[in-house]
Amino acid sequence: MSNDSLDGREKLIGWLLLIPALLVLALVFIYPIARAFWLSLFTENLGTQLQPEFSGLTNYLRMLGDGRFWQSMGNTAIFTIISVVLELILGLGIALVLNQSFRGRGVVRTIAIIPWALPTAVMGLAWAWIFNDQYGVVNDILQRLGVIDIGINWLGSPALAMTALIIADVWKTTPFISIILLAGLQSIPQDLYEAHAMDGANPWQSFSQITLPLLMPQILIALLFRFAQAFGVFDLVQVMTGGGPAGATETVSIYIYSTVMRYLDFGYGAALVVVTFLLLIAAVAITSLFLKRLRVS
Amino acid sequence: MATLRDRTKEKSAINTKQIILWISLVLIVSFFLAPILWQVLTSLKVNADISAIPTVYFPTRFTFSHYLELFARRPFILYILNSALVAIISTLLCLTLGSPAAYALTRLKLPGENIILAGILIVTLFPYVLLFLGLLEIVKAIGLGNNYLALIIPYTAINLPLTILVMRSFFQQLPKDLEDAAKIDGYKIIPMLLRIVLPMTLPALVTTGILTFIFAWNEYIFALTFITRDTMKTIPVATAQLGGATLFDIPYGPIAAATILGTLPLVILVLLFQRRIVQGLTAGAVKG
Amino acid sequence: MSLTNFLIKITRFTAQKAKIYSFLLFIGLFLSLLPFSLLPVFSQQPVQIKTLMRADEAQQWQPLVNKFNQKYPHINLEVIEAPSDSNQVEDLYTASFLLGNSPYDLVYMDIVWTPKFAAAGWLLDLSDRLSEQEKDKFLTGDIQGGMYQGKLYRIPFRSDAGMLYYRQDLLAQAGYQPPETFDKLIQISQDLQQQGLAEWGYVWQGKQYEGLAAMFVEILEGHGAFWVDAETLEVGLDKPEAIKAVEFLRTTIEQKIAPPGVTTYAEDETRRLFQNGKAVFLRNWPYVYSSALNSPIAGKYSIKPMVHAVGQDSGATQGGWGLGISKSTKHPDAAWQVIEFFSSENSQREYILATGYVPSRTSLFNDPEIVAKYNYYPKLLSVVQNSALRPPIAQYAQASDILQRYLSAALTDRMSPEAAMKAAAEETRRLLRSK
Repeated sequence: MSNDSLDGREKLIGWLLLIPALLVLALVFIYPIARAFWLSLFTENLGTQLQPEFSGLTNYLRMLGDGRFWQSMGNTAIFTIISVVLELILGLGIALVLNQSFRGRGVVRTIAIIPWALPTAVMGLAWAWIFNDQYGVVNDILQRLGVIDIGINWLGSPALAMTALIIADVWKTTPFISIILLAGLQSIPQDLYEAHAMDGANPWQSFSQITLPLLMPQILIALLFRFAQAFGVFDLVQVMTGGGPAGATETVSIYIYSTVMRYLDFGYGAALVVVTFLLLIAAVAITSLFLKRLRVS
Repeated sequence: MATLRDRTKEKSAINTKQIILWISLVLIVSFFLAPILWQVLTSLKVNADISAIPTVYFPTRFTFSHYLELFARRPFILYILNSALVAIISTLLCLTLGSPAAYALTRLKLPGENIILAGILIVTLFPYVLLFLGLLEIVKAIGLGNNYLALIIPYTAINLPLTILVMRSFFQQLPKDLEDAAKIDGYKIIPMLLRIVLPMTLPALVTTGILTFIFAWNEYIFALTFITRDTMKTIPVATAQLGGATLFDIPYGPIAAATILGTLPLVILVLLFQRRIVQGLTAGAVKG
Repeated sequence: MSLTNFLIKITRFTAQKAKIYSFLLFIGLFLSLLPFSLLPVFSQQPVQIKTLMRADEAQQWQPLVNKFNQKYPHINLEVIEAPSDSNQVEDLYTASFLLGNSPYDLVYMDIVWTPKFAAAGWLLDLSDRLSEQEKDKFLTGDIQGGMYQGKLYRIPFRSDAGMLYYRQDLLAQAGYQPPETFDKLIQISQDLQQQGLAEWGYVWQGKQYEGLAAMFVEILEGHGAFWVDAETLEVGLDKPEAIKAVEFLRTTIEQKIAPPGVTTYAEDETRRLFQNGKAVFLRNWPYVYSSALNSPIAGKYSIKPMVHAVGQDSGATQGGWGLGISKSTKHPDAAWQVIEFFSSENSQREYILATGYVPSRTSLFNDPEIVAKYNYYPKLLSVVQNSALRPPIAQYAQASDILQRYLSAALTDRMSPEAAMKAAAEETRRLLRSK
């Protein structure tokens, strides 16, 4: 038996091991996106008795004049940027604290990942209850502290509803960031700090000159993941505000979902999917370019 | 003298550092635990205390009636079983499909390996809402509506990238000598994988399995869309759809109780496997 | 521990015990029934008919459901509880039909869902099942609201319509007759507010939600304007009369006739203001009448059809719920029996007496038993008979969301009425033309 044919057999087996997984991935990830591209060229809605009729770029033209789409894009951008930045700052802080040695560290680390593991939809209900206008505990605490006189209708006014959503999201996903950053922190050799301290650097200097640069890859990875997830936020919004009040918290994913499941406007929904997908890919491409440059240098 | 002053300075620096550390620890723990504990408390309060103003923080009366109501008015046992069934089967399926794929991508130098890996990485970033429209068509076309497979297949797929990445980082750490030795002993690849590699892989499989289970248990948008039969719903959807007995009345007590029931299995998992979860997540995200 | 305290604890303890036992019983029953559900082929099971509705109404249905199941042992009607938000119920039905193999045989639907469900082909045509003679016994608006492109898909169960509530006592005190026109309503409001008789003149639903669209249909109708013509799909939102309708609502805010918060009010906020004696006029649904009977203004208010512009007629937005049959059901005849039972005069009477909803059968408004309990129902009939439909078009939900967005923008001063209505009209046209 020659070496070549052995290699060939190995390769064959390799493909056999790989292909089932790739098929499932293609079915669930590639097909729906490709299908959305195709379907977005058709009008398929209640006006056509749910039958597809070729309509070229009509759906995309309609999107240009669709105020609600742009509003939902804006809401998504606000939600994504504010929550990801907050989560990054908090997550870094928590990772730094958890990287210290203290008694009971294991327990605190365990507690600090619990929110990440819980179902978002279910905890969204819990947060809606916390922010309830009449019996919510947030209003009660603020009243006791004398900050407000009467209960605030958190989920009923546009800016406050967005605030409540962001707080709930920060609670839920900061643990993910701190786990990733903590792993990064642990991989920084301790003697680097010692050498730096010998040179007379203060803690802030060693943080900004050693920790941050060495942690940058992890920070970017966490950013990338969180950015994509926050951009597609659905469960939390659907459960806490349903996109209200008056569409003030309607994100792109909520709009896509109601376009398809409520309006049965499949062609237009597909066009929304395509545009969102392309925007997301563009953002990811930019971030990974940064990541690559960082790894090279 | 100088050294002594330095030392006291150092000591007080340590003390302030300690104080800051403990304050931040208290803040972290209370921020992460408070919402959960509040929900536990709500689920045990009687209705009068739930809607009392000012808020009751230390109730004197406790009740299990909200939990009992869940089981009496709704098939809540079924919801839990549905969630467990779907999560367990998709986890097993995911491991069976994902681990061999990860092995192939680590050891058997396949052409286009890097492209495949990059593709798998990108796919993890897709929000599910971009997928549900296409999946809905598939589900409709092959009549999978109200069939557990309509959840099991997507759940397997959405967890495959993570499984492949975590398992791959595990295989990379595995010494290759063992497999080489096995090959010299005349093992063919598949028997070798089953008899030699698999037993060593068990810890990594457990790690990955826990993560996949968590993701599958928590998934919402597919469960909301592809299952409409009441008795087949999963916990997150069923909880979100609890209705009140009167209009304008949201059943806060039962919702809180359902929250606790739906999250309890996961809290237990975290308590038991904290280390593994952290390992798995970092392996999946950072090394991939 | 005091004796009473002790007694309370004991009773609570036993009550809990009882609950636990009933819970165990439930489990036992569940387990013992399991084998049966696995062997449906071998036993003569009754036909299962399932429907879905808001949890609160499901509870109100229960007595009639029990009665039905006793009367028709070969059918087993089961009502599944949905969340207390109509939009969510609509979405649950939609999702289940979209998937095919819907678990629901009967569709309990709000009047505005009918065109959508019918256009999607999810409902059975019921035109032949209801004779003309039977049809005439229902309120015209309710029957029309159940039609789509000339066919009947929904049999009305309970009706609903918007109307004007006014404070009889205050009007009499100031020497006014109930107003007929928009101008008169404004004039009376301002006068009574100046006299200090009431804090606010006229309150209505201004929050951005379906209620806003429902309220606005009446204002449009009263100005002789229209939203969408269901036949020609013409959009009338940017016509001068429609802009006048928006201006009327704006005037009530600008002249402080309505409270500034009115743009965030749904039905219940406005009801509370009126019930607490803070407002002279209120636009709302019939449920306020019975609710206000136990309030500070009991006996001091009355109802009439909505006001209108000079030379126009008023219209009450038609609401209400009815039953349709899912196209995918295997038992259309059994489902029809349920509909016949529930829409019958006797069932409706029983339901109305228990809940205070509005019947869909004309005769019941003057039914002695009902009038004995609710003496204002004959008056209600004149309002309900004067109804206006929200556009019965398949894309109603979308059209309504467009209107709500722009109307709300105009009311909160983010857009001028002309600009808002123009934008709304154009977006609606794009939607309806997007065939």
